[in-house]
Order: sequence, then C-alpha cells, then structure tokens
Amino acid sequence: MMNKIEARNICKQFQNLEVLKGIDLEVAEGEVVAVIGPSGGGKSTLLRCLNKLETIDRGSIVIDGETLVKDTSSGVEYAPEKDSRRIACKMGMVFQQFNLFPHMTVLENLIEAPVQVQKRNKEEVIREAEALLAKVGLLDKRDVYPRKLSGGQQQRVAIARALAMKPSIMLFDEPTSSLDPELTGEVLKTMRELAEEKMTMVVVTHEMGFAREVATKVVFMADGHVQAQGTPQEIFENPSNERLKAFLNVILK
Amino acid sequence: MDYIIRIIPQMLEGSIVTAQVFFITIVLSIPLGVLLSLGRVSSIALLQKVIGLYVWLLRGTPLMLQLFFVYYALPAVGIRLDDFEAALVAFVLNYAAYFCEIFRAGIQSVPQGQYEAARTLGMDYVQTMRRIVLPQVFRLILPPVSNETITLVKDTSLVYVLAMNDLMRTTRNLVQRDFDITPFLVAALFYLVATLLLTMLFERLEKRFSRYDQ
Ligand SMILES: Nc1ncnc2c1ncn2[C@@H]1O[C@H](COP(=O)(O)OP(=O)(O)OP(=O)(O)O)[C@@H](O)[C@H]1O
Ligand SMILES: [Mg+2]
Repeated sequence: MMNKIEARNICKQFQNLEVLKGIDLEVAEGEVVAVIGPSGGGKSTLLRCLNKLETIDRGSIVIDGETLVKDTSSGVEYAPEKDSRRIACKMGMVFQQFNLFPHMTVLENLIEAPVQVQKRNKEEVIREAEALLAKVGLLDKRDVYPRKLSGGQQQRVAIARALAMKPSIMLFDEPTSSLDPELTGEVLKTMRELAEEKMTMVVVTHEMGFAREVATKVVFMADGHVQAQGTPQEIFENPSNERLKAFLNVILK
Repeated sequence: MDYIIRIIPQMLEGSIVTAQVFFITIVLSIPLGVLLSLGRVSSIALLQKVIGLYVWLLRGTPLMLQLFFVYYALPAVGIRLDDFEAALVAFVLNYAAYFCEIFRAGIQSVPQGQYEAARTLGMDYVQTMRRIVLPQVFRLILPPVSNETITLVKDTSLVYVLAMNDLMRTTRNLVQRDFDITPFLVAALFYLVATLLLTMLFERLEKRFSRYDQ
C-alpha cells in the first residue's frame, strides 16, 4: 500500500534551537497516527513542516506520491511555489485556535477556498458544504458568524472547512486543547467518525483516551526525536522506552 | 438673514474647490496608502525601509511646508504645477503616508493564524490579502480612517496659502469686503455640516462591517 505521507530525516532549527533532529514519519492510507509527547518536543513544528507552514533545513517529504521537498547535497529543494501549495493543501489542517475567518459566516468559511482556490462550481460547493455541516451537526448555524459559536462548535466548523477542500489527509494540532473540558467530547466524536470513514489522519494530542482508542499508530516525540512508535497497545500497555514510561506516568496519573 | 442668503452662492462656489480637494485626495490617497502599507509589511527589507523613510518625512513635516515645497520648489527641477495640481500632489502624498501607517497597524493586528489558515487552504498571497486580511483590516481601521478624513476636511483650508479660492479664502474675502464677521460663522457651519455627514457615514460603515462582531 502506498504511503500517504513519507517524511525522512526532517531537521528543523529555529535560530540556535534544534527542534527536529531527524524525524522519520510514515503514514499509510487510512491510518490514524496520534503524535504524543511533552510540551516543546516539536510536535506542532513537525505538522507545520509537513504542510510547509515552516520550511525544513534537511530531509524530504513526499505527500501522496508527490515530492514536496527533497534533500540534495546543497540543502533542501522545494517543489516550485505553485506545486508546493497544491501539494500542501492535499492536507487539511485543524489548529488549536480554530482560526476561522471571523468576517465570514459559517457557510462562507466552508466555501471560500473550494470556490476561490479550486475554482469549483459554487452551487455544487454549497451543497457539499451543507452536507458537511449536517455531518458535524451544525447545519442550523450555516449563516451565523464564528464569534457566536462555542469553541467546540467553532472547531467542528474548522474541521468541516478543511474537509470542504476534499483533502486526502487531515492534520490536527491539539484540536481540543483550547476547549473547556465539557466541549472536547463533541470534537473528538467528529474526529472519531472521520477515522471510521478511513480518513488518513495525523493528530497531535494530549487526549490519551483518543490516542488509545482511535489511533492505529502512536508516535512518541521528545527532544526532537521520535523516541518510540507502535500500536496503542505497544505504547500504552508495554512501553519499553524510559522517556515514554516517565511521560505516561505523569500524564496518566 | 438677507445678508447670509446673499453670500451663500459665493460661499458654495468656494466650497466646490474645497470639496474637490477633499474628494480627489481621499480617492487617491487611500489606495496609495494601501499599496504603501503592503510594501511596509512585505518581506522586502529595502522596500520597508524606503517606505518607512517616506512616512517619516511626510508625517514629520508640516503639510503647509509640503504644499510650499511642491508649488515653489518643484519648478526648480522642471516640474511646474498649477496651484490646484500642486495642492492635490501635496495632499495625496501626505495623506497616503498617514493612511499607510493606519493600514500597516491594521494589517499587523490580524492574527498570524488567519494567514496560516488561508495558506493551508491553498490560498496565494493575493487571495489571502484580498479575501481574508484586508476585509478584516477595513473594519479595524474605520475609526482612525474616519478621524483622518475629518481632519482632511479641515486641512483643505491650507490651500489658502496657495491663493486658491476655496471656502476659507472666499470667506475671508467676504469679511474684508463687507466688514462683517458673519461669513466666518457661515463657514464654520459649512465645515460642521461636512464633518457631521462624514461622521454619520462612518458610523453606518462601522455598523455594517461589525455585524460579525456582535
Ligand atoms: N517560530 C518559532 N520561532 C522560534 N522558536 C520556535 C518557533 N516555533 C516553535 N519554536 C520552539 O520550538 C520548540 C518546539 O515547539 P513546538 O510548538 O513544535 O512543540 P510542541 O511539541 O508542539 O509543544 P506543545 O505541546 O507545547 O504544543 C519550542 O521550544 C518552541 O519554543
Ligand atoms: Mg504544539
């Protein structure tokens, strides 16, 4: 089976701070990868490198068989701007802070990029957007501005907005971390449903329950390295890596 | 009262010059200000610096000095403008500098996450600016733009120094001719009505653009 994401030896440095020190990540079609690890370990940076919100210093990234960036002897070489933008937006991204467009209604948020970027037929896009809103349970909020929504509702709109682009991969960066505890459930439920539909997903999360029950693979990152990876069973029930054990001890207490 | 009715036609005539300076300045300096501000926040260091210098010069010297400069000094380098053109050049360049700073502050107050969301949705620079950033900026900057616009109404009276027959000079001529200060009061009323109309216009715009805020 072809890998949806193939990242090799990703190195990324901010000024003097080495954040990623040679990360390898493979994500197969339909896989749900949970990325866990201590704060500052480079999890967000890794996601942001995958869709070129950050550029990498070394390594290569292939998305859906297309090379976004490759390693050469004289440094990395990105695909031309237009191609790399197209490749990067095969991945929908959901942010911790939602980042909905506040000057647009819920529906306008969803149809903006399909109409403006993909130049798809507006009526058709609206129909699909309404179906997506129905799926995340927010069709009645179609004409509301984001500020009127709760955090959980905003995040579900953000997920629907990303899906409206028909991405082949979804990236989530701590989608529930800025939500009140009673609102995380509705977002996790939406993500669970996506996983059941075999969407390929990479989820940075502190929700160990989600990682344990929904992920097909768990990646533990710390200090810019992948310290351990495996099935949820291997990571949570029989951790062998010392740092992982220490991390789980703290977080599952 | 009779006297007021008699002088009103002349004062209206003066108002036309004032209104022309005002509208042409607004129509040209706002787009120019937008372009300058985009350069100011661009990643091109040289462009940032040059525009920074421009803004500093034009905000750091009196508009009246700039008027004199355009009218009296430019001919020395072969650019000869009549009084109306000179006034417009000075006003547009000056106000563009102020608008540039207002828009720059507005653009920089749009959170980074908005750019990132646009990027991950495949939008390019122009789409991001036109569809996502600038519409949000416009709402934020309406109050300072409103201020600047009202200041401009009053600043137009500076064309007096180029001997243009604007509302101010017409008024002064009437006062000197008739030994009566009534024209001053009428002029004040004219300026007040103009700024009141603008205030109302901007209030409506603010309401419209803030609908997603409530
Ligand atoms: N744009 C940036 N400039 C400089 N340093 C950065 C930048 N972005 C991230 N860093 C630093 O890189 C390190 C890794 O950050 P990152 O956000 O990837 O960690 P994380 O694993 O996502 O942590 P958290 O769980 O807190 O979100 C941190 O020390 C952070 O301060
Ligand atoms: Mg993070």
